[in-house]
Amino acid sequence: MTARLVSVAAVLAGVAASLALVRGGYTVPDELVAPTLVLSLAVAWSFVGVGLVARRRRPDSRTGVLMVVFGFAWLARFVVAVDTTPAFVAGVLLGSVALSVFVQLLVTFPTGRTESTAQRVLVGVGWLLSVPLDAVFLAVGAQRGRGDGPPPNGLVITPSGGEFRPDVVDLTVQAVVVVLLMSVLVSVWLRWRASGPAARRALTPGLVGGTIVVGTLLVERTAILLLLPPSAGVWLAWSAQVVLVVWPAALLLGLLRSRLDRSGVGRLVVELGGAGAGVGTDTAPEHLRSVVARTLHDPTVELVHRLPGTEDYVDPAGARVEVGSRAVTFLERDGEPIAALLHDPALTAEPDLVEAVAAGAGLALENERLHAEVRHQLREVRASRARLVEAADAARRRVERDLHDGAQQRLVAVGLALRLARNESSDQLDALLAEAADELTAALAELRELARGIYPPLLTDGGLAPALLSLAERAPLPVVLTDVPADRPPETVERTCYFVVSEALTNAAKHAAATKVEVSVVPEGDGLRVEVVDDGLGGADADGSGLRGLADRVAALGGSLRVESPAGRGTRVTASVPCG
Amino acid sequence: MLIVDDHASFRSLARRLLVADGFDVVGEAGDAADAFEAVRALAPDVVLLDIRLPDLDGFGVAEVLAGDDAVDGAPVVVLVSSRARHDYGPRVDSSPARGFIAKDDLSGEALRRVLGDGADRSSTRQVGGAP
Repeated sequence: MTARLVSVAAVLAGVAASLALVRGGYTVPDELVAPTLVLSLAVAWSFVGVGLVARRRRPDSRTGVLMVVFGFAWLARFVVAVDTTPAFVAGVLLGSVALSVFVQLLVTFPTGRTESTAQRVLVGVGWLLSVPLDAVFLAVGAQRGRGDGPPPNGLVITPSGGEFRPDVVDLTVQAVVVVLLMSVLVSVWLRWRASGPAARRALTPGLVGGTIVVGTLLVERTAILLLLPPSAGVWLAWSAQVVLVVWPAALLLGLLRSRLDRSGVGRLVVELGGAGAGVGTDTAPEHLRSVVARTLHDPTVELVHRLPGTEDYVDPAGARVEVGSRAVTFLERDGEPIAALLHDPALTAEPDLVEAVAAGAGLALENERLHAEVRHQLREVRASRARLVEAADAARRRVERDLHDGAQQRLVAVGLALRLARNESSDQLDALLAEAADELTAALAELRELARGIYPPLLTDGGLAPALLSLAERAPLPVVLTDVPADRPPETVERTCYFVVSEALTNAAKHAAATKVEVSVVPEGDGLRVEVVDDGLGGADADGSGLRGLADRVAALGGSLRVESPAGRGTRVTASVPCG
Repeated sequence: MLIVDDHASFRSLARRLLVADGFDVVGEAGDAADAFEAVRALAPDVVLLDIRLPDLDGFGVAEVLAGDDAVDGAPVVVLVSSRARHDYGPRVDSSPARGFIAKDDLSGEALRRVLGDGADRSSTRQVGGAP
């Protein structure tokens, strides 16, 4: 909305300026009317138009606004073309505004803000030397150039012929302007030299264009000072205006370049978060550094990490780094620096870019840290799960041993004692003893079965094949053992395979009413695949405690358990158990 | 015969039971080392050998006795255990022992059956179709 108003105002101002030139009362050579108007309008509208674009694309920079102001100031000079005293006064004062804005534009590009004392001084002098100086100039009663001929104040570029006789005031003003312009050039040159690659990319287009304009003006003014042929001055003045037409484009390019650098931060975050970022690998720190260096256009960037709990920083190789030696931007988390970017001091001219990059890199570092933490925790959880299974197995084995060595042995002894007693007893007592012996035999059988279920001693002694064979033989339904590997896998794998088969067989017999079961254990990849297939009722609950426990046990080794149990079509329990 | 078991109560009861059934028990041993010594010293005809011993297990002891040249005429070894025979899978069959008796089945009659008849060793293992 504002932009549209400004555009309309610029068009109206252009029309008014044209009218002032043509109908203002001064005599303008016919052949100069069109070129003067075309160039002046081109310069003004170029600044206003491109300035509006710049303001929209980079609202954080004042350069766009300054460009718009310059465009209007350029047209405002035409007030002087109206041949009245107030218009003359206003035109002279406004005519100098353009110069002041021009100086400010060039000195503060691309932020549009004065950031150092030198810049403030230069911009201040630019304003002081134009409007107030002109006011003084007017106050002493100068009415230079009024009357017949072209409008005053150099509005129309024309050879002054031999009539121009500069007085002291003129020469002083010109000398001051020349000094100002030279100071601007020096300031620009110093700033460019001090800039790092990223800042230079943004500065160069605008500064080159500005330098050409200033250089041209300088030579033109010097030409007058040095009384060089007036034709040369005219030619230079036209050239300066032509350059002024395209300069806004160069300024915009510079602004967009620093914006492109900022969009590079977006790419940085995407790239660092991407699959190829090498998170968790040894190349991750160098990858991060190179992406940051590319985004900042500073190949010398270093990324250093803070040693937790200290004020010391180390490079990726672990060597201590002195942080104060270069320009430094800290990467913080919860207000505490976790790392730092050491970079070209010139980049401090673009704190936004560096901070954005630092934030992106901080994100990546945090990401990497979280990844590492999760990986660590996962390792811990896996290890502790494996330890739990191991501990449970050890406990089972101990219980089996204790039963065997303790209760079982004692019961055996009692059994033998009963048998001895029977040899020397009466018939009645014998019957009682026989009954006791039978009970004892049954108790022993149950105890033995219990102990075996807790932990099969054959598994440790003989391995998976004999243990599964024994399991198959004792099963209450026909079990066909089709495949068992001859080699012995690690003990934990053996136990897991055994318990999968044991649990599946128990389910098949107890719940599925199966009539036969097929069991196979075959190599699969670097592990084993256990498969137990029955022809029972199906519909087994994979989340039932038995199968759930099995799944946990298999998962503890990094394997997986699958239960397919469609109603009425049997049950297939498949476990993949890695041996690594 | 020689009784080898680390449980003194079992040794004592087994000795009385077997003596009552007409066997001549010449000695007892509590572990494998004592067993070897006793076999050399006493030269028993039969060794009733528990599988679980504190040092070497019964299978190992049977192997050593079968291959021991120092023993004049290796004794017949009968393994005993409070576990069931199939808890040891094929190991009983593949050992040089004459046979296996579950401890709670031990009697003179059971021992005689093992000693007199090698058929006990031929009980076949089945794959599938368990009883």
